Amino acid sequence: MIYMYPETIVYLIMAVSSILSVVAVYLAIMERDLVRAVLYSAIQSGLYTILYYFLMAPDIVLVYLPVAVGLIPGVLLILISKTERVEKE
Amino acid sequence: MKRAIELLVIISLILGVSLLLTFASELLVPSKDIRLLALFYLFTAFNPRIEYYTVSSPEVVTAIVWDYRGLDTLFETSVFYLALIAGLALARKLYTETYSGEVVSGGLSTIVKTVTRITAPMIIVVGASIGLHGHLTPGGGFQGGATIAVAPMIFIVVYSTMFLLSKGVSSSRMLLLRSIGLLGIGFTGIAGFLIGLAVNKYAYVFQNLPKPGAEIGLPAYIGNVLISGTLWFFNFFEMLAVAAGFTIAFTVLLLARREG
Repeated sequence: MIYMYPETIVYLIMAVSSILSVVAVYLAIMERDLVRAVLYSAIQSGLYTILYYFLMAPDIVLVYLPVAVGLIPGVLLILISKTERVEKE
Repeated sequence: MKRAIELLVIISLILGVSLLLTFASELLVPSKDIRLLALFYLFTAFNPRIEYYTVSSPEVVTAIVWDYRGLDTLFETSVFYLALIAGLALARKLYTETYSGEVVSGGLSTIVKTVTRITAPMIIVVGASIGLHGHLTPGGGFQGGATIAVAPMIFIVVYSTMFLLSKGVSSSRMLLLRSIGLLGIGFTGIAGFLIGLAVNKYAYVFQNLPKPGAEIGLPAYIGNVLISGTLWFFNFFEMLAVAAGFTIAFTVLLLARREG
């Protein structure tokens, strides 16, 4: 059995979450449905929050979580509700 | 299929660049002076033995943000509120805020409404805790205010804007709260200076605890409670102002519509 240092586990979690955030960014850019794009963007922000937490920046976590998961999707959803939901070619 | 290949290409590119950076970072060793800077902040942020050079705040980030570089943060805050004022000025003729007294119905289902009623006070309490303990634990005024501002946003989504208006959360009242917060930040900034004027002694603008040559300052403790001089007041007023500012932005954005 391979012994893993705790640091290795932390770095693995960071690597996985950063790669998943790349996937979320890609989906958010390519998605035609803007509401789903906002949700993907929020997922990306959540993964970034994990990164900030493990990089020992809890202050940034506390400001990033409400702003990027709560407030910005809220504003964007309000704006989408005033225009069209699906992006055109 | 095409998307999966594109994603694979992007991810492999990023992994390649990270691998390159891993090797490159071996060559980029920061100089040891940077460590000294961090050690200086850690040494002086909370240290009762150096009475005239400390901030008395265990949370170094808040100490840096509101004391070491407090004037920068003041101007950051003013940029945020100028942006808000510009938004209000753009939408000034596009919204009316008269609650017509009609019975508010609609919104999401009863389950969601009940859960919102339970969780919204919790969100506000957590935000207040983040803001008021900003000088002790990670967090601060902006973080706490942004957390509090999530609660009215959830109410807007789950109930309606009219529900918030019927409960008295109008943008003029929020503007009042925001102005109280801003005035509080301003007066806390010159509090040491004003006390110095009153007792005819030297004091700096944006002074926190007593410094050599300027013995006037706010107390680090009130009773036995650590407030770190001005830091608690800055966090409190910033929390009020940020929470009210975001609430204004939401209500105005939702109510604004082009007439006729």
